[in-house]
Amino acid sequence: MNNVAILRFENVRFTYPDGHPLFDKLCFELNQGGFYGVRGPSGSGKSTLLRLMNRLENPCVGEIFFNEKPFSAIPTPELRRQILYIQQTPVVTDGSVKDNLVLPFSFKNNRTLPVPDDDQLKKMLKDFSLEQIPLDRAARNLSVGQQQRLCLIRGLLLAPSVILLDEPTSALDHESSRIVEGMAETLCHDMKKTIVMVSHREFNPKHVKPVIIDVREGGLSVLP
Amino acid sequence: MEHQIAEIGPLQLAFGLVFILISGLASFAYSLKLEKDLLIGTVRTFVQLFIMGYILRFVFDLSHMAVVIGVFSFMIFFAAWTIYGRVKDKQIPFFMPVFLSMIFSYFLVSYLVTAVVVNVKPWWEPRYFIPLGGMVIGNSMNAIAISLERLIGELKSRRSEIEMKLCLGATSREASQPILRNAMQAGMIPSINSMMAVGMVFIPGMMTGQILAGSDPLTAIKYQIVVMVMLSGSTALGTLLTVLLVRKRCFNACDQLVLRPD
Repeated sequence: MNNVAILRFENVRFTYPDGHPLFDKLCFELNQGGFYGVRGPSGSGKSTLLRLMNRLENPCVGEIFFNEKPFSAIPTPELRRQILYIQQTPVVTDGSVKDNLVLPFSFKNNRTLPVPDDDQLKKMLKDFSLEQIPLDRAARNLSVGQQQRLCLIRGLLLAPSVILLDEPTSALDHESSRIVEGMAETLCHDMKKTIVMVSHREFNPKHVKPVIIDVREGGLSVLP
Repeated sequence: MEHQIAEIGPLQLAFGLVFILISGLASFAYSLKLEKDLLIGTVRTFVQLFIMGYILRFVFDLSHMAVVIGVFSFMIFFAAWTIYGRVKDKQIPFFMPVFLSMIFSYFLVSYLVTAVVVNVKPWWEPRYFIPLGGMVIGNSMNAIAISLERLIGELKSRRSEIEMKLCLGATSREASQPILRNAMQAGMIPSINSMMAVGMVFIPGMMTGQILAGSDPLTAIKYQIVVMVMLSGSTALGTLLTVLLVRKRCFNACDQLVLRPD
């Protein structure tokens, strides 16, 4: 981790559409290449915090910066490609594993990106211990743990610099959870991605030192 | 083939209430609790149709373009209002998009039918324009309600799939394309199905009316064919415009789904 801020919240206020306030005067920054663990009681706004980071939600007041550029100055699809959000429950579409992996390349905003070939896809599957899964297998037939990894690979093919993981292990057994956590660690340590992970599990990575973001009662504290 | 249609006198009309009595007795005997609705429905049928009859007679006698357009617009407004009442989720203000889509597509289709197909002069001749246009509204109104219900329902229930695509760089249009397709299909299928069944399963109301009024059945079927194709056209155009306009309102400029789950 270096000391360059990749994401910076400046005076952010967020209120739910029903008028219920959540965050106010939120000021903090995340450093490039850092590993952040988000903790806090349920309903404290951990998911919303992540959704603010990739603009699935907008702050009511304040601004969020990516590489010191305000979100409002970056086209949303491009921002989301850079700051990848992985949902709590994996979502796959009808069709094969390959169909799912190349899905993002069918979108207009990604047309300029090179579409990965089968060898690249197989290598990615292997890196995430999915080498036994053929590319033509129906994605919906995979286990939840395998689908979760598939979703992560699908996002990584877009080469994001920040990865937001919203309780990626909540639906997984211990073994699958370990694999996902190990992957998150590898992405941070070897591939220099910034990781923000919401998790309830005790997690002690060996190669990276997580910074804990504690979210509660409308605010948050960053515990080094 | 001259034929005078049998006039229904007031006593005969009153005798028709026997049928309502039968429904009422059935409801009473089996505790269906439909008596009240049945009563209201009967009264409304009588009142609304009598009002319509007098208005139509007035409009036919007046025979003025502005009046015809005014009556037709009012009918569309009322249809849009009915749809507004039928679709339960009202988070997205969809009345105006529905109304505008209907105005545009129904005027266009009705105009083409009277001016080009039936070739009436002037095109707004109330005896043709109002009943034909009325059928357009009555039939494709259901299609619009069905497709709108489907659009909003699926946008809500498939939220995580939409957001998954948005997170991977899709625009809101791309992320909601399969849902838009489903909504359009749901709206258009009934009118296509009725083109399959017409003449085999049922004799359409308009044809029945023309035959009762003494028309040659072959004239009646030609009108019916025009009506069927006109309905499928107005249904397609009306649902397409409505779902496109309403979908636009379900997302904001930042490609966020503003439609909230219940």
